[in-house]
Amino acid sequence: MTARPRRGLRALPAGGRIALAAVVALWAVAAISPAFSGRAREIHLEDRLLPPSGAHPFGTDDLGRDLLARVVAATPISLAIGLVAAAVSLGIGFTVGATAGFFGGAVDLVLSRVIEVVLCFPVLFLLLALAALLPPSPATVVLAIGVTAWPGDARYARAEVMRIRQLDYTRAATAAGASTPRILARHVLPNALAPLIVSAAFGVGWAILAEAALSFLGVGLPSPAVSWGGILAAAPAYIEEAWWLALFPGVALFVTVSAYNLLAEGLRAATAAQGSNP
Amino acid sequence: MGGADAGGDAGPVTAYVLRRLALAVPTLFGILLVVFLLVHLAPGSPVAGGPEAGRRLTGRAAEEMRRQYGLDRPLGERFGLWISRVTRLDLGESFVDHRPVGVRIREALPYSLLLNGVALALALGIAIPLGVAAGGRPEGAFDRISSAALFALYCMPSFWVALLLQTLFAVRLRWLPLFGVASDAGGGALDRLAHLALPATCLAYGTLAFVARLVRSGIVEASAGTYVLAARARGASRRRALWAHALPNALLPLVTLLGLLLPALLSGSVIVERIFAWPGLGRLYFDSILSRDYPVILGLSLLSAAATLAATLASDVAAAAADPRVRDGTAP
Repeated sequence: MTARPRRGLRALPAGGRIALAAVVALWAVAAISPAFSGRAREIHLEDRLLPPSGAHPFGTDDLGRDLLARVVAATPISLAIGLVAAAVSLGIGFTVGATAGFFGGAVDLVLSRVIEVVLCFPVLFLLLALAALLPPSPATVVLAIGVTAWPGDARYARAEVMRIRQLDYTRAATAAGASTPRILARHVLPNALAPLIVSAAFGVGWAILAEAALSFLGVGLPSPAVSWGGILAAAPAYIEEAWWLALFPGVALFVTVSAYNLLAEGLRAATAAQGSNP
Repeated sequence: MGGADAGGDAGPVTAYVLRRLALAVPTLFGILLVVFLLVHLAPGSPVAGGPEAGRRLTGRAAEEMRRQYGLDRPLGERFGLWISRVTRLDLGESFVDHRPVGVRIREALPYSLLLNGVALALALGIAIPLGVAAGGRPEGAFDRISSAALFALYCMPSFWVALLLQTLFAVRLRWLPLFGVASDAGGGALDRLAHLALPATCLAYGTLAFVARLVRSGIVEASAGTYVLAARARGASRRRALWAHALPNALLPLVTLLGLLLPALLSGSVIVERIFAWPGLGRLYFDSILSRDYPVILGLSLLSAAATLAATLASDVAAAAADPRVRDGTAP
């Protein structure tokens, strides 16, 4: 193999590299967050709804808890749920999509109808039904997001595997008499890996948003677990007096989702550029 | 030339429509199956039985469920029973106020149509000119700025945006009402418009970002086409080449995706209608989830999925009518 023009991190465009740094920084915050969990739980009713100040950079909530500590303490749970739920979604979506794309014909026809069925439902309708009707737990939230988000991954995987199936090296392997498992393992899966990672990065962004939406609506994580969406759920009641309750948890959410989506776009650009090089 | 034999002299569009309709039948069956299983297999749902069942529903409602869904019968037979009721357009009665589900949906529908219609018009009305302007000069200053802004919009959770807009426009500036459909005093069209502004904006911006990005990439791709170059060579202005020649082709992928905007808008409605106390379908669905009003949950899921199926069917047919390449599967 001749050297590809750009490999590793340098293949990422500038935005992607910044996003990667942001994602690493967020996980670093998650790693040190246990140091804040005590402060995040301290109730000081005399300090309730204090605006941002030196002592409380993000202000305090309706129970006088430090909002900065709460936002930091919520980081690991928001990130972890996003990651695991995206993995569940990708697992289901890739299996369905790759099977449809690889075998085609009747298999594709049936699996494509299954994808179409799920896409017909408003995703939040299904999410709410699953999250509210199943026993409340982190596993329920992860499962609800994974089970509703996979059609996107499936369509992506299907198109990608169909494309690879048409390429000369796959056809050559078929002509040479390679078995189906061998073609899958040696030719299709390794080449579908890059788009798979792109899909996963977009999936994390969506899963974090979905978890936040569920927690905001009050059917997400059961207490005492608190995510950014859960902190935001208190904001509407104090919208007249405490803008900081709405602002800061949302900023954390926005920065995280942007970082993952920007990383995904960077990865997509990098893999597209690599694919066009011989 | 298979498929055309159905009608003898059927045109290519008719043949495509027939094929597409045939594929929609199993999808509709799948939708019915998903809705049925949603309630019947959820642990703790009244119909699943078990220790949870008694606690979640009062005796009367559980009895109602049992009667409506024939719970003493095997699962397959229950499914058949349910389908036969649905095909007679009998969605059952709400557990909450014992009125027919259809009536409750019909009450919320006008509010949803108004909010979603305004949001969709807002999104398309801004997204298409924006996408054309950005795609007309790819990598130009306007394209870079609008791309960054659209990306940011795309990553913003709607409930956060809603709270920020409420804080700014309702609490600080006092320009717009915090929530509701109209002021208690009644008020005219202007009052209703003021109540519509924030929820419609929150519902629209996600779709706006999605559509603008789609139009932009469509324009960039179409501008490279020889027909746009030919239009310019014949002396068409840059503006005319973009709007009259590149845009129709750039809109084609949008037409096929139009049907899928419906479930996206309904999803957004759940959150937006809750924050702004808007009595539409999203609010009805969320309230029904909280009160475990199964007939309403089932009816709304079924109707929204069926409506989406019809909408995707219509947009596929529209795309096929507009572009022969869609009909014979050679679309780019």
